[in-house]
Amino acid sequence: MTDRDPNERLFRLNAALDGELDAMASLELERELRDDPALAAEYRRLAALRDAVRRHAPREAAPQALADRIAALAPPAPSVPAPQTAAALATVVPLRRRAWFDRRALALAASLGVLGFAVGAGLTSLRTASGSGDVAQRLVSDFARAAIAGQPFDIASSDRHTVKPWLADRTTISAGIIDLAPEGFPLAGGRVAIVDRVAAPTLVYRHNEHLVAVTELPLDAGQARAANATETIDGYHVARWSDANLAYVAVSDMDLKTLGEFVEAFRRGGSPATEPARP
Amino acid sequence: MSDPVAERRFREIVPPLLDDAYSLARWLSQSPTDAEDIVHDAALRALQALSTVTVDRPKPWFLAIVRNAAMTFIARNRPKAVAYVGDLADLDALDLRQGEDAAPNPEQELIARQDGERLRQAIASLPSPFLETLVMRDVNGLSYREIAEATQAPVGTVMSRLARARSLLAKTLRGEP
Repeated sequence: MTDRDPNERLFRLNAALDGELDAMASLELERELRDDPALAAEYRRLAALRDAVRRHAPREAAPQALADRIAALAPPAPSVPAPQTAAALATVVPLRRRAWFDRRALALAASLGVLGFAVGAGLTSLRTASGSGDVAQRLVSDFARAAIAGQPFDIASSDRHTVKPWLADRTTISAGIIDLAPEGFPLAGGRVAIVDRVAAPTLVYRHNEHLVAVTELPLDAGQARAANATETIDGYHVARWSDANLAYVAVSDMDLKTLGEFVEAFRRGGSPATEPARP
Repeated sequence: MSDPVAERRFREIVPPLLDDAYSLARWLSQSPTDAEDIVHDAALRALQALSTVTVDRPKPWFLAIVRNAAMTFIARNRPKAVAYVGDLADLDALDLRQGEDAAPNPEQELIARQDGERLRQAIASLPSPFLETLVMRDVNGLSYREIAEATQAPVGTVMSRLARARSLLAKTLRGEP
Protein backbone atom coordinates (compact mmCIF):
# COMPACT_ATOMS: atom_id res chain seq x y z
CA MET A 1 0.00 0.00 0.00
CA THR A 2 1.35 3.45 -0.83
CA ASP A 3 0.31 6.32 1.35
CA ARG A 4 -1.32 9.10 -0.57
CA ASP A 5 -0.50 11.69 2.05
CA PRO A 6 3.06 11.31 3.36
CA ASN A 7 1.70 11.90 6.86
CA GLU A 8 -0.52 8.87 6.46
CA ARG A 9 2.52 6.68 6.82
CA LEU A 10 2.92 8.04 10.32
CA PHE A 11 -0.79 7.70 11.07
CA ARG A 12 -0.62 4.05 10.12
CA LEU A 13 2.37 3.41 12.34
CA ASN A 14 0.58 5.04 15.26
CA ALA A 15 -2.63 3.17 14.57
CA ALA A 16 -0.69 -0.10 14.45
CA LEU A 17 0.90 0.76 17.78
CA ASP A 18 -2.52 1.42 19.28
CA GLY A 19 -4.04 -1.79 17.96
CA GLU A 20 -6.37 0.12 15.66
CA LEU A 21 -5.45 -1.52 12.35
CA ASP A 22 -7.65 -4.28 11.04
CA ALA A 23 -6.18 -7.68 10.27
CA MET A 24 -5.48 -7.03 6.59
CA ALA A 25 -3.85 -3.66 7.21
CA SER A 26 -1.71 -5.19 9.97
CA LEU A 27 -0.55 -7.90 7.63
CA GLU A 28 0.34 -5.34 5.01
CA LEU A 29 2.24 -3.23 7.51
CA GLU A 30 4.14 -6.22 8.88
CA ARG A 31 5.36 -6.95 5.39
CA GLU A 32 6.42 -3.33 4.88
CA LEU A 33 8.25 -3.31 8.22
CA ARG A 34 10.15 -6.38 7.14
CA ASP A 35 11.15 -4.86 3.82
CA ASP A 36 11.87 -1.32 4.93
CA PRO A 37 14.48 -0.91 7.69
CA ALA A 38 13.89 2.83 7.95
CA LEU A 39 10.18 2.28 8.54
CA ALA A 40 10.96 -0.40 11.09
CA ALA A 41 13.32 1.95 12.92
CA GLU A 42 10.64 4.63 12.97
CA TYR A 43 8.18 2.14 14.36
CA ARG A 44 10.60 1.15 17.14
CA ARG A 45 11.18 4.79 18.05
CA LEU A 46 7.46 5.39 18.27
CA ALA A 47 6.97 2.29 20.38
CA ALA A 48 9.75 3.37 22.76
CA LEU A 49 8.16 6.79 23.10
CA ARG A 50 4.71 5.32 23.71
CA ASP A 51 6.12 2.99 26.36
CA ALA A 52 7.95 5.87 28.03
CA VAL A 53 4.74 7.92 28.15
CA ARG A 54 2.85 5.06 29.74
CA ARG A 55 5.58 4.44 32.27
CA HIS A 56 6.17 8.05 33.27
CA ALA A 57 2.63 9.35 32.99
CA PRO A 58 0.59 6.60 34.63
CA ARG A 59 -3.04 6.86 35.63
CA GLU A 60 -3.14 8.36 39.09
CA ALA A 61 -5.42 7.38 41.93
CA ALA A 62 -7.92 10.04 42.89
CA PRO A 63 -7.36 11.36 46.41
CA GLN A 64 -9.59 9.77 49.04
CA ALA A 65 -11.08 13.17 49.90
CA LEU A 66 -12.29 13.51 46.32
CA ALA A 67 -13.70 9.98 46.32
CA ASP A 68 -15.60 10.84 49.52
CA ARG A 69 -16.97 14.06 48.02
CA ILE A 70 -18.16 12.18 44.94
CA ALA A 71 -19.72 9.37 46.98
CA ALA A 72 -21.59 11.95 49.05
CA LEU A 73 -23.34 13.24 45.93
CA ALA A 74 -25.41 10.05 45.68
CA PRO A 75 -25.36 8.25 49.02
CA PRO A 76 -26.62 4.67 48.85
CA ALA A 77 -29.60 3.20 50.74
CA PRO A 78 -31.03 6.39 52.21
CA SER A 79 -33.97 4.46 53.68
CA VAL A 80 -32.08 3.04 56.67
CA PRO A 81 -33.48 4.99 59.62
CA ALA A 82 -30.63 5.04 62.10
CA PRO A 83 -27.10 5.40 60.82
CA GLN A 84 -25.65 3.76 63.93
CA THR A 85 -27.67 0.62 63.23
CA ALA A 86 -26.44 0.52 59.68
CA ALA A 87 -22.85 0.88 60.78
CA ALA A 88 -23.23 -1.87 63.35
CA LEU A 89 -24.80 -4.24 60.82
CA ALA A 90 -22.14 -3.45 58.28
CA THR A 91 -19.40 -4.55 60.61
CA VAL A 92 -21.07 -7.72 61.82
CA VAL A 93 -22.63 -9.19 58.72
CA PRO A 94 -19.70 -9.28 56.33
CA LEU A 95 -17.47 -10.86 58.94
CA ARG A 96 -19.91 -13.69 59.53
CA ARG A 97 -20.51 -14.19 55.85
CA ARG A 98 -16.84 -14.08 55.11
CA ALA A 99 -15.95 -16.79 57.63
CA TRP A 100 -18.72 -18.97 56.29
CA PHE A 101 -17.52 -18.51 52.72
CA ASP A 102 -13.96 -19.33 53.67
CA ARG A 103 -15.03 -22.66 55.19
CA ARG A 104 -17.14 -23.41 52.15
CA ALA A 105 -14.25 -22.42 49.93
CA LEU A 106 -11.97 -24.96 51.51
CA ALA A 107 -14.48 -27.75 51.34
CA LEU A 108 -15.49 -26.94 47.83
CA ALA A 109 -11.96 -26.59 46.57
CA ALA A 110 -11.20 -30.00 47.95
CA SER A 111 -14.29 -31.63 46.49
CA LEU A 112 -13.84 -29.98 43.11
CA GLY A 113 -10.29 -31.14 42.99
CA VAL A 114 -11.27 -34.73 43.69
CA LEU A 115 -14.16 -34.58 41.27
CA GLY A 116 -12.06 -33.10 38.54
CA PHE A 117 -9.44 -35.75 39.02
CA ALA A 118 -11.81 -38.68 39.26
CA VAL A 119 -14.28 -38.07 36.51
CA GLY A 120 -13.05 -35.20 34.41
CA ALA A 121 -15.16 -34.36 31.47
CA GLY A 122 -17.09 -37.60 31.69
CA LEU A 123 -19.21 -36.09 34.41
CA THR A 124 -21.06 -33.87 32.02
CA SER A 125 -22.83 -36.71 30.32
CA LEU A 126 -24.08 -38.26 33.56
CA ARG A 127 -26.21 -35.35 34.66
CA THR A 128 -29.77 -34.88 33.68
CA ALA A 129 -32.04 -31.90 33.94
CA SER A 130 -33.99 -33.40 36.82
CA GLY A 131 -34.28 -31.06 39.77
CA SER A 132 -32.84 -28.13 37.90
CA GLY A 133 -36.14 -26.31 38.33
CA ASP A 134 -35.28 -25.70 41.96
CA VAL A 135 -32.14 -23.89 41.02
CA ALA A 136 -33.89 -21.72 38.46
CA GLN A 137 -36.71 -20.99 40.90
CA ARG A 138 -34.27 -19.94 43.57
CA LEU A 139 -32.36 -17.68 41.19
CA VAL A 140 -35.59 -16.10 40.00
CA SER A 141 -36.50 -15.37 43.64
CA ASP A 142 -33.06 -13.85 44.12
CA PHE A 143 -33.52 -11.70 41.05
CA ALA A 144 -36.99 -10.53 42.08
CA ARG A 145 -35.92 -9.81 45.65
CA ALA A 146 -32.87 -7.88 44.48
CA ALA A 147 -34.96 -5.90 42.01
CA ILE A 148 -37.58 -5.02 44.63
CA ALA A 149 -34.92 -4.04 47.15
CA GLY A 150 -33.42 -1.77 44.50
CA GLN A 151 -30.10 -3.54 44.87
CA PRO A 152 -29.60 -5.69 41.80
CA PHE A 153 -25.96 -6.23 42.71
CA ASP A 154 -23.63 -6.11 45.69
CA ILE A 155 -20.84 -4.47 43.76
CA ALA A 156 -21.70 -1.89 41.16
CA SER A 157 -19.15 -1.49 38.44
CA SER A 158 -18.97 -1.54 34.70
CA ASP A 159 -15.33 -2.51 34.92
CA ARG A 160 -14.79 -6.22 34.85
CA HIS A 161 -11.37 -5.75 36.40
CA THR A 162 -13.19 -4.44 39.46
CA VAL A 163 -15.94 -7.02 39.53
CA LYS A 164 -13.76 -10.04 38.96
CA PRO A 165 -11.50 -9.69 42.03
CA TRP A 166 -14.53 -8.82 44.17
CA LEU A 167 -16.21 -12.07 43.14
CA ALA A 168 -12.97 -14.00 43.42
CA ASP A 169 -12.74 -12.99 47.07
CA ARG A 170 -16.17 -14.39 47.79
CA THR A 171 -16.65 -17.44 45.63
CA THR A 172 -14.60 -20.44 44.64
CA ILE A 173 -15.81 -20.37 41.06
CA SER A 174 -13.72 -18.12 38.91
CA ALA A 175 -16.21 -15.98 37.08
CA GLY A 176 -15.60 -15.60 33.38
CA ILE A 177 -16.60 -12.01 32.75
CA ILE A 178 -17.27 -11.22 29.14
CA ASP A 179 -17.37 -7.68 27.87
CA LEU A 180 -20.69 -7.35 26.10
CA ALA A 181 -20.91 -3.56 26.05
CA PRO A 182 -20.30 -3.49 22.28
CA GLU A 183 -23.31 -5.78 21.91
CA GLY A 184 -25.46 -3.38 23.93
CA PHE A 185 -25.24 -5.17 27.27
CA PRO A 186 -22.80 -3.24 29.47
CA LEU A 187 -21.76 -4.85 32.72
CA ALA A 188 -23.58 -3.28 35.66
CA GLY A 189 -22.15 -5.20 38.58
CA GLY A 190 -21.88 -8.48 40.40
CA ARG A 191 -23.30 -10.33 43.36
CA VAL A 192 -23.11 -13.69 45.01
CA ALA A 193 -25.93 -16.22 44.78
CA ILE A 194 -26.11 -19.22 47.09
CA VAL A 195 -27.10 -22.35 45.22
CA ASP A 196 -26.98 -25.73 46.84
CA ARG A 197 -24.87 -24.16 49.59
CA VAL A 198 -22.30 -23.05 47.04
CA ALA A 199 -21.45 -19.38 46.65
CA ALA A 200 -21.86 -18.76 42.94
CA PRO A 201 -20.71 -15.63 41.10
CA THR A 202 -23.51 -13.73 39.45
CA LEU A 203 -22.88 -11.12 36.81
CA VAL A 204 -25.46 -8.44 36.21
CA TYR A 205 -25.63 -6.85 32.79
CA ARG A 206 -27.81 -3.96 31.74
CA HIS A 207 -29.82 -3.40 28.62
CA ASN A 208 -31.64 -0.07 28.62
CA GLU A 209 -33.69 -0.23 31.80
CA HIS A 210 -33.62 -4.01 31.98
CA LEU A 211 -31.23 -6.29 33.76
CA VAL A 212 -30.03 -9.80 33.18
CA ALA A 213 -28.26 -11.75 35.93
CA VAL A 214 -26.03 -14.64 34.87
CA THR A 215 -25.15 -17.11 37.61
CA GLU A 216 -22.21 -19.40 36.97
CA LEU A 217 -22.41 -22.78 38.66
CA PRO A 218 -20.28 -25.86 38.88
CA LEU A 219 -21.76 -28.53 36.65
CA ASP A 220 -22.80 -30.65 39.61
CA ALA A 221 -24.34 -27.97 41.84
CA GLY A 222 -27.97 -28.77 42.54
CA GLN A 223 -28.30 -30.46 39.18
CA ALA A 224 -27.74 -27.07 37.67
CA ARG A 225 -26.76 -28.57 34.39
CA ALA A 226 -29.54 -28.59 31.88
CA ALA A 227 -30.10 -28.80 28.22
CA ASN A 228 -30.07 -25.40 26.55
CA ALA A 229 -33.49 -24.11 27.33
CA THR A 230 -35.54 -21.08 28.14
CA GLU A 231 -38.54 -21.00 30.40
CA THR A 232 -40.64 -18.46 32.22
CA ILE A 233 -40.95 -18.49 35.98
CA ASP A 234 -43.06 -15.94 37.87
CA GLY A 235 -42.98 -13.68 34.83
CA TYR A 236 -39.20 -13.71 34.53
CA HIS A 237 -37.48 -15.37 31.61
CA VAL A 238 -34.81 -17.88 32.41
CA ALA A 239 -32.23 -19.22 29.98
CA ARG A 240 -29.89 -22.07 30.77
CA TRP A 241 -26.89 -23.48 29.04
CA SER A 242 -23.55 -24.97 29.89
CA ASP A 243 -20.10 -25.42 28.49
CA ALA A 244 -17.35 -27.84 29.34
CA ASN A 245 -16.64 -26.16 32.65
CA LEU A 246 -19.70 -24.47 34.05
CA ALA A 247 -23.45 -24.31 33.92
CA TYR A 248 -25.04 -20.91 33.37
CA VAL A 249 -28.45 -19.66 34.44
CA ALA A 250 -29.56 -16.26 33.16
CA VAL A 251 -32.58 -14.61 34.77
CA SER A 252 -33.98 -11.46 33.24
CA ASP A 253 -36.85 -9.04 33.00
CA MET A 254 -36.04 -8.49 29.32
CA ASP A 255 -38.29 -9.92 26.67
CA LEU A 256 -37.51 -13.40 25.45
CA LYS A 257 -36.08 -12.26 22.14
CA THR A 258 -33.60 -9.84 23.74
CA LEU A 259 -32.64 -12.46 26.28
CA GLY A 260 -31.96 -14.84 23.41
CA GLU A 261 -29.70 -12.25 21.80
CA PHE A 262 -27.90 -11.74 25.08
CA VAL A 263 -27.32 -15.47 25.57
CA GLU A 264 -26.07 -15.79 22.04
CA ALA A 265 -23.67 -12.87 22.52
CA PHE A 266 -22.51 -14.23 25.87
CA ARG A 267 -21.78 -17.65 24.45
CA ARG A 268 -20.15 -16.22 21.38
CA GLY A 269 -18.00 -14.04 23.62
CA GLY A 270 -16.02 -17.20 24.15
CA SER A 271 -16.14 -19.74 26.89
CA PRO A 272 -14.21 -17.79 29.48
CA ALA A 273 -11.25 -19.70 30.75
CA THR A 274 -11.99 -20.94 34.23
CA GLU A 275 -9.14 -20.84 36.60
CA PRO A 276 -8.67 -23.34 39.39
CA ALA A 277 -10.45 -22.66 42.64
CA ARG A 278 -8.60 -20.38 44.99
CA PRO A 279 -6.81 -22.38 47.65
CA MET B 1 -34.44 17.39 44.36
CA SER B 2 -32.94 13.94 44.38
CA ASP B 3 -33.74 11.37 41.74
CA PRO B 4 -33.23 7.79 42.96
CA VAL B 5 -32.82 6.37 39.47
CA ALA B 6 -30.18 8.95 38.55
CA GLU B 7 -28.43 8.34 41.86
CA ARG B 8 -28.36 4.60 41.31
CA ARG B 9 -26.91 5.02 37.81
CA PHE B 10 -24.44 7.54 39.17
CA ARG B 11 -23.19 5.08 41.81
CA GLU B 12 -22.69 2.45 39.11
CA ILE B 13 -20.95 4.66 36.60
CA VAL B 14 -18.93 7.37 38.28
CA PRO B 15 -16.93 5.89 41.20
CA PRO B 16 -15.22 3.22 39.04
CA LEU B 17 -14.07 5.98 36.66
CA LEU B 18 -12.77 8.34 39.31
CA ASP B 19 -9.06 7.62 38.80
CA ASP B 20 -9.41 8.10 35.05
CA ALA B 21 -11.35 11.31 35.53
CA TYR B 22 -8.87 12.70 38.05
CA SER B 23 -5.86 11.84 35.88
CA LEU B 24 -7.40 13.49 32.83
CA ALA B 25 -8.39 16.60 34.80
CA ARG B 26 -4.91 16.78 36.29
CA TRP B 27 -3.21 16.75 32.92
CA LEU B 28 -5.63 19.25 31.42
CA SER B 29 -5.50 21.68 34.35
CA GLN B 30 -1.89 20.96 35.35
CA SER B 31 -2.94 21.33 38.97
CA PRO B 32 -3.89 18.65 41.51
CA THR B 33 -6.23 20.91 43.47
CA ASP B 34 -7.98 22.29 40.40
CA ALA B 35 -8.32 18.71 39.14
CA GLU B 36 -10.36 17.83 42.23
CA ASP B 37 -12.71 20.76 41.69
CA ILE B 38 -13.06 19.90 38.00
CA VAL B 39 -13.94 16.26 38.71
CA HIS B 40 -16.42 17.30 41.39
CA ASP B 41 -18.02 19.73 38.97
CA ALA B 42 -18.12 17.03 36.27
CA ALA B 43 -19.70 14.57 38.71
CA LEU B 44 -22.46 17.08 39.51
CA ARG B 45 -23.14 17.52 35.80
CA ALA B 46 -23.18 13.76 35.31
CA LEU B 47 -25.65 13.26 38.15
CA GLN B 48 -27.93 15.85 36.62
CA ALA B 49 -27.67 14.34 33.15
CA LEU B 50 -28.40 10.82 34.38
CA SER B 51 -31.99 11.81 35.18
CA THR B 52 -32.69 11.94 31.49
CA VAL B 53 -30.11 9.86 29.65
CA THR B 54 -29.05 6.24 29.72
CA VAL B 55 -25.42 5.59 29.04
CA ASP B 56 -24.11 2.71 26.99
CA ARG B 57 -20.41 3.49 27.14
CA PRO B 58 -19.77 5.12 30.50
CA LYS B 59 -16.07 5.83 30.09
CA PRO B 60 -16.05 8.09 27.02
CA TRP B 61 -19.31 9.60 28.24
CA PHE B 62 -17.99 10.64 31.64
CA LEU B 63 -14.54 11.65 30.37
CA ALA B 64 -16.23 13.93 27.83
CA ILE B 65 -17.97 15.66 30.75
CA VAL B 66 -14.67 15.92 32.63
CA ARG B 67 -12.98 17.39 29.57
CA ASN B 68 -15.72 19.98 29.09
CA ALA B 69 -15.68 20.81 32.79
CA ALA B 70 -11.93 21.33 32.58
CA MET B 71 -12.29 23.64 29.60
CA THR B 72 -14.96 25.68 31.37
CA PHE B 73 -12.88 25.81 34.54
CA ILE B 74 -9.76 26.97 32.74
CA ALA B 75 -11.61 29.57 30.70
CA ARG B 76 -13.27 30.94 33.84
CA ASN B 77 -10.34 30.87 36.24
CA ARG B 78 -7.34 31.45 34.03
CA PRO B 79 -8.48 33.50 31.07
CA LYS B 80 -4.88 34.45 30.36
CA ALA B 81 -3.63 30.91 30.36
CA VAL B 82 -5.68 29.53 27.52
CA ALA B 83 -3.60 26.63 26.39
CA TYR B 84 -3.71 27.23 22.69
CA VAL B 85 -4.72 30.35 20.87
CA GLY B 86 -4.78 30.08 17.17
CA ASP B 87 -6.49 28.20 14.46
CA LEU B 88 -6.83 24.49 15.13
CA ALA B 89 -6.62 23.88 11.42
CA ASP B 90 -3.05 25.23 11.48
CA LEU B 91 -2.11 22.62 14.03
CA ASP B 92 -3.82 19.81 12.21
CA ALA B 93 -2.04 20.78 9.02
CA LEU B 94 1.45 20.80 10.52
CA ASP B 95 3.73 18.87 8.27
CA LEU B 96 5.27 16.09 10.24
CA ARG B 97 8.05 15.27 7.86
CA GLN B 98 10.40 18.03 8.98
CA GLY B 99 13.23 16.70 11.02
CA GLU B 100 12.26 13.13 10.65
CA ASP B 101 15.04 12.28 8.29
CA ALA B 102 17.55 13.41 10.88
CA ALA B 103 19.42 10.42 12.15
CA PRO B 104 18.13 9.57 15.60
CA ASN B 105 20.60 10.25 18.33
CA PRO B 106 20.74 7.13 20.49
CA GLU B 107 21.82 9.11 23.52
CA GLN B 108 18.83 11.38 23.34
CA GLU B 109 16.52 8.45 22.87
CA LEU B 110 17.92 7.01 26.04
CA ILE B 111 17.04 10.25 27.79
CA ALA B 112 13.54 10.02 26.40
CA ARG B 113 13.16 6.62 27.89
CA GLN B 114 14.62 7.41 31.28
CA ASP B 115 14.05 11.02 32.20
CA GLY B 116 10.46 10.94 33.37
CA GLU B 117 10.34 14.52 34.55
CA ARG B 118 11.50 15.85 31.23
CA LEU B 119 8.99 13.68 29.43
CA ARG B 120 6.15 14.87 31.67
CA GLN B 121 7.11 18.49 31.00
CA ALA B 122 7.14 17.80 27.29
CA ILE B 123 3.67 16.27 27.51
CA ALA B 124 2.37 19.19 29.57
CA SER B 125 3.62 21.66 26.97
CA LEU B 126 1.64 20.07 24.13
CA PRO B 127 -1.13 22.24 22.65
CA SER B 128 -4.37 21.24 24.36
CA PRO B 129 -6.02 19.37 21.46
CA PHE B 130 -2.95 17.16 21.25
CA LEU B 131 -2.59 16.87 25.00
CA GLU B 132 -6.15 15.68 25.58
CA THR B 133 -5.92 13.16 22.75
CA LEU B 134 -2.62 11.74 24.00
CA VAL B 135 -3.83 11.52 27.61
CA MET B 136 -7.11 9.87 26.66
CA ARG B 137 -5.20 7.31 24.63
CA ASP B 138 -2.13 6.53 26.74
CA VAL B 139 -3.34 7.37 30.25
CA ASN B 140 -7.05 6.54 30.04
CA GLY B 141 -6.71 3.80 27.44
CA LEU B 142 -9.60 4.91 25.24
CA SER B 143 -9.86 3.61 21.69
CA TYR B 144 -9.76 6.05 18.76
CA ARG B 145 -13.52 5.76 18.43
CA GLU B 146 -14.03 6.53 22.12
CA ILE B 147 -11.68 9.52 21.95
CA ALA B 148 -13.64 10.75 18.96
CA GLU B 149 -16.81 10.46 21.02
CA ALA B 150 -15.30 12.20 24.05
CA THR B 151 -13.74 15.07 22.12
CA GLN B 152 -16.47 15.38 19.49
CA ALA B 153 -13.96 15.11 16.69
CA PRO B 154 -13.93 12.75 13.68
CA VAL B 155 -11.86 9.58 14.07
CA GLY B 156 -9.51 10.78 11.32
CA THR B 157 -8.78 13.91 13.33
CA VAL B 158 -8.10 11.84 16.44
CA MET B 159 -5.69 9.75 14.43
CA SER B 160 -3.82 12.74 13.09
CA ARG B 161 -3.74 14.55 16.46
CA LEU B 162 -2.31 11.51 18.17
CA ALA B 163 0.38 11.09 15.52
CA ARG B 164 1.20 14.78 15.75
CA ALA B 165 1.25 14.73 19.53
CA ARG B 166 3.79 11.93 19.53
CA SER B 167 5.87 13.57 16.81
CA LEU B 168 5.94 16.83 18.75
CA LEU B 169 6.95 14.95 21.89
CA ALA B 170 9.76 13.22 20.07
CA LYS B 171 10.92 16.54 18.64
CA THR B 172 10.90 18.22 22.05
CA LEU B 173 12.84 15.36 23.55
CA ARG B 174 15.37 15.55 20.73
CA GLY B 175 15.82 19.18 21.70
CA GLU B 176 14.56 20.56 18.43
CA PRO B 177 12.75 23.93 18.48
